[in-house]
Order: sequence, then structure tokens, then C-alpha cells
Amino acid sequence: MISREIYEEVIFQTIKRGATEVQQDVVSAFESAIAREESPTARSGLEKTLESIILSKKNASPACPDTGWPIFYFKLGNDCEFEGGFMALEEATRRAVARATKQGYLRATMKHPLTGFDPGNNIGSNIPDFTYKFVPGSSMEVSYVAKGGGSECFGGTRHRVIAFADGVTGIKKFVTDCFIDSTRAGAICPPSILGVGIGGTANVAANLAKEAACLRKIGSRHPEPAFAELEDELRTALNSLGIGIMGAGGTTSLFDVNIEYAYTHIAGIAVATSSNCMIARRATSRIDADETVTALCEPGWFEGR
Amino acid sequence: MATYEINIGLIGEGESFPVEQLRIGDIVYISGKAFTCRSRLHRWIFDEGHPLPAAAAERQLLIHVGPIVLREGTPNVDETFKLVSFMPTSSIRFEKWGARSVENWNLKMIIGKTTMGEETMEKMAELGCVHVSPQSVSPNLWLEHISIENVELFDELGTIEATWLLTLDKLGPFVVDIDTQGNNLFDLLDPVIEKNREEAYKMLGIPEDFTYTKLYGR
Repeated sequence: MISREIYEEVIFQTIKRGATEVQQDVVSAFESAIAREESPTARSGLEKTLESIILSKKNASPACPDTGWPIFYFKLGNDCEFEGGFMALEEATRRAVARATKQGYLRATMKHPLTGFDPGNNIGSNIPDFTYKFVPGSSMEVSYVAKGGGSECFGGTRHRVIAFADGVTGIKKFVTDCFIDSTRAGAICPPSILGVGIGGTANVAANLAKEAACLRKIGSRHPEPAFAELEDELRTALNSLGIGIMGAGGTTSLFDVNIEYAYTHIAGIAVATSSNCMIARRATSRIDADETVTALCEPGWFEGR
Repeated sequence: MATYEINIGLIGEGESFPVEQLRIGDIVYISGKAFTCRSRLHRWIFDEGHPLPAAAAERQLLIHVGPIVLREGTPNVDETFKLVSFMPTSSIRFEKWGARSVENWNLKMIIGKTTMGEETMEKMAELGCVHVSPQSVSPNLWLEHISIENVELFDELGTIEATWLLTLDKLGPFVVDIDTQGNNLFDLLDPVIEKNREEAYKMLGIPEDFTYTKLYGR
């Protein structure tokens, strides 16, 4: 049985890590983008961002003040036992979010959509957001994602139903146009990680797109060749756009394109995009049944899909 | 394209850099007295009719930002504010209030992410104001160049949407994206991106005459 005290502390530490330590795959993406960059201004921007990321980890200081929507993904072993059950787990998560906000690891960004009421702790109706996946075993894995307002609000997240008559061509056009719109003047803080969800109902496509943007490692490829090829093709084409860091022109426009899919209705194909900003903040921890805690360097959310 | 270290002081006090000299693409490091603003403060003033606090109104350097600030100690006794994180936020969302903010607040410079729209640009050209934006996400390089003097409307608007009064010491680099000649750096990039879009379509095998099947609507 994993105790409440342990999982609450692990969730808190995961939030802190997610907000302050940018993951190694993102750091590597910066390093290779710097090596490739032809525009001196863009190269300087990439270098300064990388320098700031390194300081952020060293000083345990947020990599960006916009710590965004607090989003949690729990991968729970089918035999995992944790004290208090699901309601206690969600309550502990809310407490951890409030504590991280009070200590300045998260900004109090969440507010009432109509009245503007600011609870000051990032806790409110349907926030934080929880997603669960059930897997064999007895461990609990928690991933925290800081989904910033820039990448979410300014065209980075879109949806459209593509007719079978328009097929893959329609999908490619929609994704390309969304990406171009959302990167103007650096709105979504490119170079982005572009998630694409294909199939399912609109909400399924949108969730898959968000998970593809936020939980896949940069450079990973979908195991099905048709999707891996589409990821490569889109990555190459969108990187030729010359958008550059913060949309001011440059060699690298995005770090990767990740696609996830669901079976769809014979009537049409829901396609959604979700962008993550260049610093792609996330962190994952695992708690085994004997309460051993491990900080993981990737969420492994799509293992076994 | 030139690099400048500039100072923007209080209105009518000391020497401020003539921002009319700046052109899009120039890089600036900024010193001076600034105040911060997000949606809530714009609404508070322009939609709800409150005045801009006097300590902000004497400043002509506006930053669109919602910083993370830790408030420690007891108010009016030993209270301190610690700036934890700072990254300008997207200016374009304030376009509805942009022209009025430039005019009513006597602004010479706005620091913000992205850019502003046509109405604000016209007002900026008319009254002599520029917009500058960061070309990196590097809060941890900026913190030591910013000190917090005070905060106004903290209780009314909350920690992020309050107006923070800041002293900047060579904060940058930021690129000038709107100058006083009516130019916008991102407008210049648009035709380049449009040309590249056509090339990307070709790479992806999207025909020039592709149109979506119309699935609904009249």
C-alpha cells in the first residue's frame, strides 16, 4: 500500500521538477538547433534560452512564469494499492498544486472564466485536470505537465473534421495551416513540439494531440510506419518554413511532430492539433508498491499505446 | 540593424532615449522605470472607469507581463517582494485597448511578447511609441536586471494582474518589432512565410487547387 504521505510528496516534487527542470530531450533539441541555426539572431535566442534553462534547474526557479494549466496523467498498475483511493489521490494532488503555488514554483494562473475570481492557488472547477491510464503491475506513475497559455491560447490548439474524400492531403493541409497561423510573431513560443490527434470524437482527437505534444519524447516515432512516415514528412516540411525561434525567422521552426490516433467513424476524420512551447515542461515519477520512488526522464505514456 | 542601450525615465524627468530613432530589427537593452499590465488592469481602467494609479501614470515604459512574485513578511512592516520569474506575455490580446493605452498613458515603449495590431501601430506612429519583444524564453537571465519597487492594486487585482512598479537595469536583449514609422517586423516576414508555405504544400503533395469538402453550413 502506497501511503498518502508518500504520494502527496512525490506529486509535489514532480510539479517542482516539471516547472524548474527542463528535460534532457528538450535540452538536446536546443543543442542541435543551435548547431544548425543559420540566423545569428535566432541562434542567440536559442543560446540564451538554453542558458536560462540550465540556470533554472540550478536555482530551482521556474523555467517560465507561465506555468499554465496544471495537468496530471496517472498511469496506474491494475494491482496498485494506494491509501484513500482515487478521491484521496486527487485531493492530495490539489494540495500539492496549492503548495507549489504558495512556494512560487507555480504562478497562480487559474481564474474563474466569467467573474475573473482568482483563488490564488490554481485550484477550481475541473482544475487541476486528471487523466488516467491503467496498465499491468502494482506501480503508480504520475506525470505533471505545465501547459502554458501561449501554446494553448493562440492557435496552437485547433480542431477540424476532414472528409474521407480529402484524406491524408486534407490532414496535412490542416496541420500545416494551423502551425503557420499559430507561430506568427512567436505566439506559441516556437520552436514547438506539435502534437496531432487523428480520429475518435473531437475530444478524443484533442486529448491525443495534447498528449502527443506534451508526453512524447522529442525524436520518438510512432510504431506504425504509416504514422512514423507522416511525422517525418510533416517535421521536414514544417521545418522548411523559416519561422524560427519566437517567429522572427530562422532555421528551426519546430522540434518535432508527434501523431497519435484512434479509430474513427466511417463519416469522417476528426483531426486536432496541440502545440507545446519550446521548453516543453513535464516531469514523471514512479512509486513502486514498496514505496521506492524513481524520477523518470520520460513519461512512457504511450508504451503499449 | 543596430544595438542600443537605452534609458526610459519618468515623464518629464531626466533624459529619455528618443525612441523615434529606433527601427524594426534593432536590438535594445533597457534601463528605466516601468509598470506592468495584463488584461485585468486594462479592463479595470478602460471598461470599469478607474484611474491608472499615480505611481504608474508617471511612467512611460509599459511591460505586458504577469510575473511570479513571492510576497514575504508583514504588509507595511517588513514586507518584501521577491521576483521569482519574468517573461513578457503576448501583447496582441490587448489590441482592443492598445491605442488608448498608448495615448492615455503617454507610453514611449511597450515590452511584450508577439506584437500589436494596426490600430495600436497607427497610434504609436502618431505619438512616438515602439513595441519590443523577446527573441528567447530566458527569465533566469533577466531576473538580476529587474528590481521591484512597489505594487499597486494588489488587493483589487491579485498578484499577477496587479501593476508592479519596476526598475530595469539593462534588461534585454529585445528586438524592436514596431517602430514609429508604422513598420512591423512580423509584417515583413509574412510574405516570406507565405512563399515557404507554397513550398511546404509541394513537399507534402498538397495540390495548389486543393479545397476541403464542405461538410456543413449553408
